[in-house]
Amino acid sequence: MGKQKWIVRDMPRRKFLEIGLKGGIAVAAMPALLSRLTSCQTGPLSPGGIDMDKETLGRVIAVALEQGGDFAEVYLENRISRQIVMEESRFKSGLFGISQGGGVRVIAGNSTGYAYTDEIIEEKLIHAARVASYVARNGGSVQPVPLEQASRESFITVERPLKEIADEKRIEVMERANQAALDYDPRIKMALVDYNDEIRGRVIANSEGLYLRDELPQMFFIVQALSEENGRRHLSRERLGMHMGFEMFEQYPPEEVAKRAAREAVAMLGAKEAPAGIMDVVMQNGWGGVLVHEAVGHPLEADNIAKKVGAFTGKLGQKVASDVFTMVDDGTLPNMRGTTNFDDEGTQMQRNVLIEKGVLQGYMTDILSAWQLNMKRTGNGRRESFRHFPIPRMTNTFIERGQDEPADILASTRKGIYVQSLSGGSVNPVTGVFNFTCREAYLIENGKKTQPIRGATLIGTCMDVISNIDAVGNDLDFGPGICGKGQSAEVSAGQPTVRIRGINVGGSRS
Amino acid sequence: MNYTELSADLVKKCLANGADAAEVYLAVNRELSIQVQDGELETIQEASTQGVGFRVFVKGRMGFSHCNDLSAGSLESTLKQAISFARLTTPDEHNVLATDPATTQVEGLYDPSVVDVPMEKKINMVMEVEELAMQDSRVTKSSGSGYGEGETEIYLANSNGLQKHYRSSACSLGVSVVAEKGEQKNTGGEYCSRRFFADLKPPEEIAAEASRKAWELLDPQMVKTQRAAVIFHPDVGRSLLGGVISALNGERVLQGASFLKDSLEKSFASSLLTLIDDGTYPKGMASRPFDGEGTPTARRVLVDRGVLKGFLYNCSVAHRAGTESTGNASRRGYTSLPGIGVHNLFVEPGAYTPEEIISATPRGLLLKGVTGYGIDPVSGNFSGGATGFWIENGQIAFPVKGLTIAGTAQDILNAVDMTGNDVDLMRSFACPTLRVREMQIGGK
Repeated sequence: MGKQKWIVRDMPRRKFLEIGLKGGIAVAAMPALLSRLTSCQTGPLSPGGIDMDKETLGRVIAVALEQGGDFAEVYLENRISRQIVMEESRFKSGLFGISQGGGVRVIAGNSTGYAYTDEIIEEKLIHAARVASYVARNGGSVQPVPLEQASRESFITVERPLKEIADEKRIEVMERANQAALDYDPRIKMALVDYNDEIRGRVIANSEGLYLRDELPQMFFIVQALSEENGRRHLSRERLGMHMGFEMFEQYPPEEVAKRAAREAVAMLGAKEAPAGIMDVVMQNGWGGVLVHEAVGHPLEADNIAKKVGAFTGKLGQKVASDVFTMVDDGTLPNMRGTTNFDDEGTQMQRNVLIEKGVLQGYMTDILSAWQLNMKRTGNGRRESFRHFPIPRMTNTFIERGQDEPADILASTRKGIYVQSLSGGSVNPVTGVFNFTCREAYLIENGKKTQPIRGATLIGTCMDVISNIDAVGNDLDFGPGICGKGQSAEVSAGQPTVRIRGINVGGSRS
Repeated sequence: MNYTELSADLVKKCLANGADAAEVYLAVNRELSIQVQDGELETIQEASTQGVGFRVFVKGRMGFSHCNDLSAGSLESTLKQAISFARLTTPDEHNVLATDPATTQVEGLYDPSVVDVPMEKKINMVMEVEELAMQDSRVTKSSGSGYGEGETEIYLANSNGLQKHYRSSACSLGVSVVAEKGEQKNTGGEYCSRRFFADLKPPEEIAAEASRKAWELLDPQMVKTQRAAVIFHPDVGRSLLGGVISALNGERVLQGASFLKDSLEKSFASSLLTLIDDGTYPKGMASRPFDGEGTPTARRVLVDRGVLKGFLYNCSVAHRAGTESTGNASRRGYTSLPGIGVHNLFVEPGAYTPEEIISATPRGLLLKGVTGYGIDPVSGNFSGGATGFWIENGQIAFPVKGLTIAGTAQDILNAVDMTGNDVDLMRSFACPTLRVREMQIGGK
């Protein structure tokens, strides 16, 4: 709703991360890089009028710094998106969207000025530059460097570009998913299939002389299945999301996504009340990594560290987790949902080890927080669209592969909860207090998965959870999701099967 | 440009290009946000934007497109996209547009003075609220303060001859701070949103509330896992009733994806619960003269003393259910199709002061913060993380953190046995203090 927009950013009630799925997208299963997209194209990007020459961009940057300031940047964007929704075996709606615009950012000291416009024309961008330069009265003075085209390594391959895909093909994969979900079991009453694709063109130019442009495809496919039996209902969800062309559905057939959703919907019909109290938790590999995304990842984003309020402030080089725990944010994993060639400030994507064998190695920075902390840029400056300025965000975040056999982890856990998938959760990045809702979970009794349980919540603090991880499996896997932090971002989260000792589980049974 | 004429003209263009029916939803926005951190201006963001969404029906099939470039060429090609996209969808006899030409009179939606307040004054106000929130010695750090404002104009036209327009404003002021004691950290935040600038709460009041929320939960204790009463503070009423509202969505009911699908005219909750949806409340943050597809808004009782009185509908879902739209088409701007949602939601106040409810509770949890999704609208399950105060012998004994609460909607809603008289009608989700006789609480 419209009023959301006026809620002040950074209020504690902001809701983080949505939802998820266990995507079953193994890095090991990635295809060889066949036709890498170049990240510095020379031809026109799109018909949307995003083509603006370097001289014009240079003039906008010069105006942005007229009042002073340490840094100025112009960001232009063009998005063409399609969404098709299928419910109750009917194609309910088709949405086609074009969104374009440009934003000008000025940084002066710790202050950021930002203004944007829907119209990518010099006059409007100059006006935005003047508005953004309001903060420059806070000092600083820098001479813009003449723009020069930069190049970046590419991590995205496309075999079947979205532009060449007929809409009938899109419809077809949805029908296949819908049918597969309904065919799975008579207790599946309805499937909801949500198909999304998007082509996003970007131009980034800044006062350091950087000039970059690229165009990336993105696909997101969601299947929900509603089961019902004896008045009990469960709505399950599975997602598939990559930066790639339509060949995604050849590698990951829509039927498989639908079957996974249907399996969960049926399995959870028999769920009983969850127990309450402090218990050992085994988390299955895959999207469960969203727990550390929330609990550890957000507190390691450098904006709160620069404000000196983050939970990990001043802990660099210290032992913060158990020896078996290594956590990585890697924006270079081929074609994954959190991958791009460079972030929305133009910094090359890279692999960042955040915690290695329990020792805190680094934070995730954008340009501003890297300056404030005197650290290097890590490629984590991301933004939802031209209507937002960049802030530190995660990309593909995961617990690194360990030594343990997943089966042994379960067998050696006498009593507890086995979490097969999580819905989503949130964290307070200052206190590190997190919460999660389980989507599919089971009791563990004598080292075996037994009764499915419904409505379990996991709560705790980030420091406790990473100290209490005592087993890490060798079965690293990932799932795609949407992360919210005042702005939304495409991410993936991953982990091998892990065991966390002593988490507070909220259930309705004593 | 005259947007009223433009939107009517675009409807005609849709029909001329092959649509059998068409709706144009055009939005013009202006926004400003100011953030302050540690007495320094952190960010200023300002923009004016506009965009248009086209919803068309072609032989019963629906297509939708949107763009934010209002040049004639771009508008024309975008509306043609909606028409060509329509061929992908399944024909549906329930694809209908709004027909009611009336517009509800709603007072106090637009304050022309929001934009006129000088920037310096707004910045100083944000600085002040942060400074005031930091005055308590238990508060050690700031997570920042902020001011936001926006103005929106909506122009809606459709091929049933509807042509409507309204303008609204909003502004908000808030701050978030951290209280520390030894290794303990706790955050507290408060904000106030209003239609009119002059109605914003004074910075002193917002700051004091944020500061209090930060320190009041220091030195928490842990309680045993047990069943006990849970008193929901008005701040967390949404966590209890939000899922009920989602379960009243008429489309989810028709699809069988609602735990209330068979509850119409039945009692499903305590007789102390009466829920009202009001799109007409003067100066209400969620008030508007017509809904997301042009149907006039109204004040409507959804739940009367625990009895479910009606579901929420937009035009097409109402048509399918064989009833009339309830004026509950929601819209997240010009880029989205109309969904279903509420306007201002009020829970009728009860007989007791919050203090009386606490003193009538021998043992239990005064819930001030809850995490998680609240009641699941499909299954009716409830589970979340909880913070607040522990009550012993009718008195607040100590703060608690790291607890969980859980139950099912049926058990929880029927167990509401006391309601407070403390409803703040300026909230878009206005709920009094509510006591649930007994819930499962997870602790040590």
